Amino acid sequence: MEVTFKIYRKDPEKDGKPGRSTHAVNIPADATVLDGLLKIRDESDPTLAFRASCCRGYCGDCMIRVNGRARFSCTAKVSAFTEKGPELSLDPLRIVPVIKDLVFDWDAFMWNKIKAVKPWLEPAEPASDGENVVPDAQMKDLRKAMSCYYCGMCDEGCTVLPVDFNFLGPAALTKAYRFAFDPRNRDTRERFAVLEGPKGIWDCVHCYEADEHCPRGIEPTKRIIALRDLAFKMGIKNEKVARHHQSFAASVKESGWLDEGRLAIESEGLTNIKGLMKLLPTAAKAMMRGKAPLPYLHAKRPGADKIKKIFEKGEQETK
Amino acid sequence: MKYAFYPGCVSRGGCPELYPSAVKVSAKLGIDLDELKDVGCTGAGVLPQYISDPINARTFAKAEELGLPVMTICSTCQGVMSQANYRLKGDPEYRAKINREYLAEEKLEYKGTTEVKHLLWVLFEDYGIERLKSLLRRPLKGLRVAPFYGCYIRRPPEAITPTKELNRRKNYLDELIGILGAELTDISGKGKCCGFPILTANEENSLAMVGKHTGEAKEKGADCMVTPCPLCHLNLDGNQPRAEAQEGKEIGLPILHLPQFLGLALGFDPGEMNLKRHIVPTQTVESKVSMLT
Repeated sequence: MEVTFKIYRKDPEKDGKPGRSTHAVNIPADATVLDGLLKIRDESDPTLAFRASCCRGYCGDCMIRVNGRARFSCTAKVSAFTEKGPELSLDPLRIVPVIKDLVFDWDAFMWNKIKAVKPWLEPAEPASDGENVVPDAQMKDLRKAMSCYYCGMCDEGCTVLPVDFNFLGPAALTKAYRFAFDPRNRDTRERFAVLEGPKGIWDCVHCYEADEHCPRGIEPTKRIIALRDLAFKMGIKNEKVARHHQSFAASVKESGWLDEGRLAIESEGLTNIKGLMKLLPTAAKAMMRGKAPLPYLHAKRPGADKIKKIFEKGEQETK
Repeated sequence: MKYAFYPGCVSRGGCPELYPSAVKVSAKLGIDLDELKDVGCTGAGVLPQYISDPINARTFAKAEELGLPVMTICSTCQGVMSQANYRLKGDPEYRAKINREYLAEEKLEYKGTTEVKHLLWVLFEDYGIERLKSLLRRPLKGLRVAPFYGCYIRRPPEAITPTKELNRRKNYLDELIGILGAELTDISGKGKCCGFPILTANEENSLAMVGKHTGEAKEKGADCMVTPCPLCHLNLDGNQPRAEAQEGKEIGLPILHLPQFLGLALGFDPGEMNLKRHIVPTQTVESKVSMLT
């Protein structure tokens, strides 16, 4: 079949300005997008740059956007994108520094972030036989996280990365989970110094896009939530987040539901004049519209004492 | 048609315009609400699961005693409850443990039969679109509306869209805009996060998200945006002026709650739907609506 490929182009050795090249290609009906790219490079434009490695949908090296959606070009069939017309638009991922054409900087995209979370095991005590064996059952949950092959699809789907490229992202945080929850891990608190720092677990919006994008069902969002729950259990070290969580927990514990006015003030910190001043314009507007919830004048829900009991029991049992 | 109503704290706290609008609209539609009062906060994704799951199990047990499905008007409440319910329904051992350790003292037991639904799902799955159409008194002709779903009414799939049939849920808001006679302004970020969950941890990123979504809708010509999530509303409406300052652009896009949007099409006046309580002025919507009556 005859298909037109419209490909994003950028050549740092020329002017470096992004553009687009158009190629009419005759390919078999069952061809993949990668087949098309190879044909173009081999037959008409040897300067076209793209990546591919395993060519069987595992490594993620060939990931590009096909008609706006991230796909492994080695497994994406051209025919899946030609329903509306025989034309394919190929681009690099949304948020990556492009090196040339469809080739982007994997170090910046993912590997530097994986390195930042200390992706190795530091066991409490070296085993005498050097094996550090753990019972199989204890590794069952981790094995799923360990099946990640770093294709980067979760980072491509992430909601935060397009507004903040320095966010560690779901791939690196899933790697962090794998070691933080390893029963042999020595010092979880030490690991959390990075994870609770800027651009770490508290910057995740837990929107579940990563879980929807992951081709392996590893559920990176749920891993990040587990890391956050573990931080809550150990005592959150990120000061502002700690104030927010403490205030939230206190108002649910005391009244059964959330005192939003109190949460806004206590998240900033009662002695943080600068932070509180920052709230004022929004608070003033809200008050004028009759929608500023008054702090500390918060009626208890019926059954608040029952909620408190459940809350305290939950806290005790996980200590 | 009756539900155990779980309005959520924001519908009376940060967005006090929501609760009365939802109650009025439900009455007009003939949806009977039995409000659950003796129940706790869902945890909103802030409290850890080991605390919020038992609190939500208690809510489900109370609804189960009434023999009613739960209906929310808050996507975040619905999302957190749907996920808790998925764990509790799918794992009888876990449910038994929570019943034994947390609910037995009150002589409560959650048997795993409660359904949790957002008003948006109720309209399509229980109420019926033909019935809704028969009640429209003011089709919103000429009003250009951008949908904003947010996260928890679409994901995670195992709890929110567990069957192929329920995948339709991802499109209900788009469909509803047309059903109410308005014009759809599609935006790329309609199912993304509004930024509210990181307002404390990273305000700059949070406001950037507000600017991105509302800015895109405005550029595409929307008169307003509609959302089923009051937390999205808090950020998209309440923090839109701050997002404008940070991003250096004027936006001024009114954000409507789902029940307000429904209410206008059912014939309620903007005043009855409390539009004056919004931070971003709603004159453009009000003047278009007034021309329709």
